[in-house]
Amino acid sequence: MTRLACPFCGPRELCEFEFHKTLPAAGSHGEFERTYLRVADPALSIEHWQHLAGCRAWLLVHRNPSTGAVFEVELQGGVAR
Amino acid sequence: MSAGSPRRGTRLGPEPLSFTFDGRSYTAQAGDSAASALLANGVRLMGRSVKYRRARGLLSAGPEEPNALFTVGTAPQVIPNVAASQLLLREGMALRSQNRWPSLGFDLASLLQAGGGFFGAGFYYKTFMWPSWRTYESLIRRLAGLGEAPGACELPPVAIEHISCDVMIAGAGPAGLAAARAATRAGARVVVCEGEPVCGGELEFEPGTIDGHNGASWIAITLTELAALGARVLTSTTVVTDNSGEFIAHAEPGGLPGGNTVYHIRPHAAVMAPGAIERPIVFCDNDRPGVMLLGAAERCLARYGARAGRDLVLFANHDRVYAAAQRLTAGGMRVRAIVDTRPADAPGTDSATRALRASLLARGVECLAEHAVIAAEGRGAVRAARIAPLAAAGSSRRIPCDTILVSGGWSPAIHVGLHDGGARHFEPTVGAFVAGAQPERRDYAGAANGRLELAAVLEDGHAAGARAASRAGAKGSPGAAPRGLGDTAPRLAPFARSPASASAEKRQFIDLQNDVTVADLRTALAEGFIDIEHVKRYTTLGIGTDQGRTSAVLGAAILAELKGETLAAVGTSRNRPPYQPMTLHSIAGFHVGASVMVARRTPLHDWHAAHGGMLEPMGLWMRPRYYRTNGANPFDAAVVEARRVRSHGGIADGSTLGKLEVAGPDAAAFLDFLYLSKASTIKVGRSKYMVNLREDGCVLDDGLVLRLANQRFLATTGSGHGTHMLSHFEYYRATGWAGRGVSVTDVTEAWAVIVVAGPRSRAALGQVLGTAWQTPFGRLAHMEFADGQFGGHELRVLRASFSGELAFELHCRPAIAVPLWEALVAAGLAPYGLEALDILRVEKGYLAGSELNGQTTPFDLGMAALVKLGNPCLGRELLDRPAFHEASRPRLVGLRAADGRAQFQGGAQLTTDAASRRPCGYITSSVFSPTLGEWLGLALLARDHAAEGRLLVARDPLRGSDTPVRVVSPVHFDPSSERMKA
Repeated sequence: MTRLACPFCGPRELCEFEFHKTLPAAGSHGEFERTYLRVADPALSIEHWQHLAGCRAWLLVHRNPSTGAVFEVELQGGVAR
Repeated sequence: MSAGSPRRGTRLGPEPLSFTFDGRSYTAQAGDSAASALLANGVRLMGRSVKYRRARGLLSAGPEEPNALFTVGTAPQVIPNVAASQLLLREGMALRSQNRWPSLGFDLASLLQAGGGFFGAGFYYKTFMWPSWRTYESLIRRLAGLGEAPGACELPPVAIEHISCDVMIAGAGPAGLAAARAATRAGARVVVCEGEPVCGGELEFEPGTIDGHNGASWIAITLTELAALGARVLTSTTVVTDNSGEFIAHAEPGGLPGGNTVYHIRPHAAVMAPGAIERPIVFCDNDRPGVMLLGAAERCLARYGARAGRDLVLFANHDRVYAAAQRLTAGGMRVRAIVDTRPADAPGTDSATRALRASLLARGVECLAEHAVIAAEGRGAVRAARIAPLAAAGSSRRIPCDTILVSGGWSPAIHVGLHDGGARHFEPTVGAFVAGAQPERRDYAGAANGRLELAAVLEDGHAAGARAASRAGAKGSPGAAPRGLGDTAPRLAPFARSPASASAEKRQFIDLQNDVTVADLRTALAEGFIDIEHVKRYTTLGIGTDQGRTSAVLGAAILAELKGETLAAVGTSRNRPPYQPMTLHSIAGFHVGASVMVARRTPLHDWHAAHGGMLEPMGLWMRPRYYRTNGANPFDAAVVEARRVRSHGGIADGSTLGKLEVAGPDAAAFLDFLYLSKASTIKVGRSKYMVNLREDGCVLDDGLVLRLANQRFLATTGSGHGTHMLSHFEYYRATGWAGRGVSVTDVTEAWAVIVVAGPRSRAALGQVLGTAWQTPFGRLAHMEFADGQFGGHELRVLRASFSGELAFELHCRPAIAVPLWEALVAAGLAPYGLEALDILRVEKGYLAGSELNGQTTPFDLGMAALVKLGNPCLGRELLDRPAFHEASRPRLVGLRAADGRAQFQGGAQLTTDAASRRPCGYITSSVFSPTLGEWLGLALLARDHAAEGRLLVARDPLRGSDTPVRVVSPVHFDPSSERMKA
């Protein structure tokens, strides 16, 4: 994993992006679980990243942390109008 | 050997050059490596070992060299641990041997092991324990380490180049070139990295023909074709690791760092063709100068016409030794004997090898089967080889010689694959580990797959190149594989060490760089270090600059023998990047000095610099710490500046404040969610001090929020927090608030901010702004702001204070920042810097980074009233966790010296008395207050000790002071804030 495909900017170097966090498990209850209990699945990690040194979009990245394969990069929050 | 006609070799030119080694002058020829030139000059002693200081000579002809490492150059460009074979000599170059004192020939520390008193594995751990390790540390440190760190070293800068391509090929031996040829023909954009300065690998001296050409012409034809088809070939460039598909290649032309290049290569597919590293066979005193790898002798001869010795004994476990003997003889060396560990004429020996052996025998070369060299004899250098039949090690005899060339097989150089997700498996035919399954982007080819005969190497390389090209999307045809002839399988029979008595095992060296012997492995096993990783750490097997490239497989094989297990089961220790040593200079690249970080400058930067402002980084911003015109040091200047603000007035550059404009119909609700108190209750034209929490409840940042219009707010953030707070706002806007009517815009650089503070600030502003001051700014109440104009540009004036004085923030367009600032100076207000700002805010108990440290909650910081307002904001829920309400949680307090005079400093720990060793808090900030005439502090103190009037001791062992202090209110000055509201 050396690049991420930003929905706006296309494939860009990983160093332009900043990892924020892995999403909490589906069905977490309450703020404590959402804050502290994250999924640690070696085959699929769903993470928030920001294209910090680019368009600053927040992204939802689905990837395999064991192989570095990126399955999907989704835009978060839609396009501002 | 140096006398007579010039030497001839593939890398040599005829021009002579001179160099020095340990102060002595020698001559060489253009193109010589340090190793070849010293060999040609008859120099065998090239270094001493790190632990026993044993005399050592050249072992290899590559970067895997454990012994012949030199310190090159003179201050301030000194580079230690340069492998002799990789170092291209230049006129006048100065080389120094390492690990010796006072000289290479006579080393005092080597006397430590005279008489065989070796320090075995764990010697240091076991010996230097009483009274403590520290007693011996400085002496041992002086003896330890490879070479000497050069201290300040000025090298030319390193270039970093990023390359994207379809196919990257690591290694340009026969496999790599075949792969490059196939991939290029198929239409891929190819980059080839070769560690040596020339391509060809083994073809430099191995026999055989390819598609009817000899090795040298096939290389030339292939390189011409690659160039014509646009492939890029990087020589002297070694791929050192693969970071998830980004390959790092390190170019060091001439074998020296400085002015070199680090490549970051992102191919769609990669073919790794790194070849294999020849490994020795272990026998008694196999570390003497004159014991060398067979392939190294061949390379020195072919490349540089340098002879490894005069009288040779060859010791090997494979068929290649016979062809090598013939070439060495042709090169002018005398082969006394070939000692082969395998039985004579075992089934499968091909007719060519049989014929070769017959011709060697006819020329008087003794060819011994099922024999081994059991010891090298001679002090300081080899004088003879002691050999014995494997069946009867007792009946040994001596063959005089000056050089023993040894070859125990080849260990595939699969390190880069093992760094990143690659597997390996044991291959019995080569007695070593070969590349196993790799991630999809990467394939191995050639010797790394255990292919050793030319035809198979070429086919493997071609197939890998074609596969990589097709994976990268190239549609063309790779053509037919090159056909190799005349270089057959070596028919290797694994053999790691010669028979030895228990006492001789102490001198059977496995890892030459770290003096690890067979006896050390035995000790490690006896003491319970069973796993190869533990044995490595206990004995130091495979550490150092060579990272065990000649010794790792060998050590594992011997460990397997001692444990009675298979080599496959023992394995080798884990490899770590980089594959070859890189200087920190190379890794840092251009990220040095001013290029480490970008610097953000305020519009007033140049004014500060021109008027004595001492600018220092704060986060990415450059801010004036103090003005030299007010004092020679920060302390004196800050006292002058702070006193003047209280008595008169002053101005400060606040442009670094983060400024985020939040707008839209949902802006107020959005800010209510992000802040502990509500933004929706702020009236247009007013501002409010607000605090952000993290989702875990700790305070993230604080600042003023201004309501510019009903649906438009300006949130200010801490100077160092601006960029982070922008991401924080954007994150919640993009996630929980997606689709809602709110926008976040960073306007930090759109507004310069000038802080005007002090009793004279109103008068000075009236003078500078004239009628504009009367309306709209003159009647501003505390925390109110108004928009107006100055010099035709927008100006916003906010009446707010971070100093406790009557104060105003002028938010102006950058274009008018300097004229406005200069007008204020002309009106009698002098600037003050960060140090004075710190004094003023500590006097008032205002918070800064040391209190908002990411570990404190609103309760800790005395903001419980804000929480009580009940706004259900981000982080609010987790504030109710019981641990946040325990008596041991900190509370913000003020501190003064108990005697009203003594100094105490930030960072000091607070204890209940002078004897206690258990801190109950610590000082976050301390300043000398010119207004109050004493030292003031803020501290975070456990709640059960935080009562005002309590006496504590500020303990500062690092700076050597213990100061009795008294807990007071954090608001040291003007507690009712009358000055601010004046």
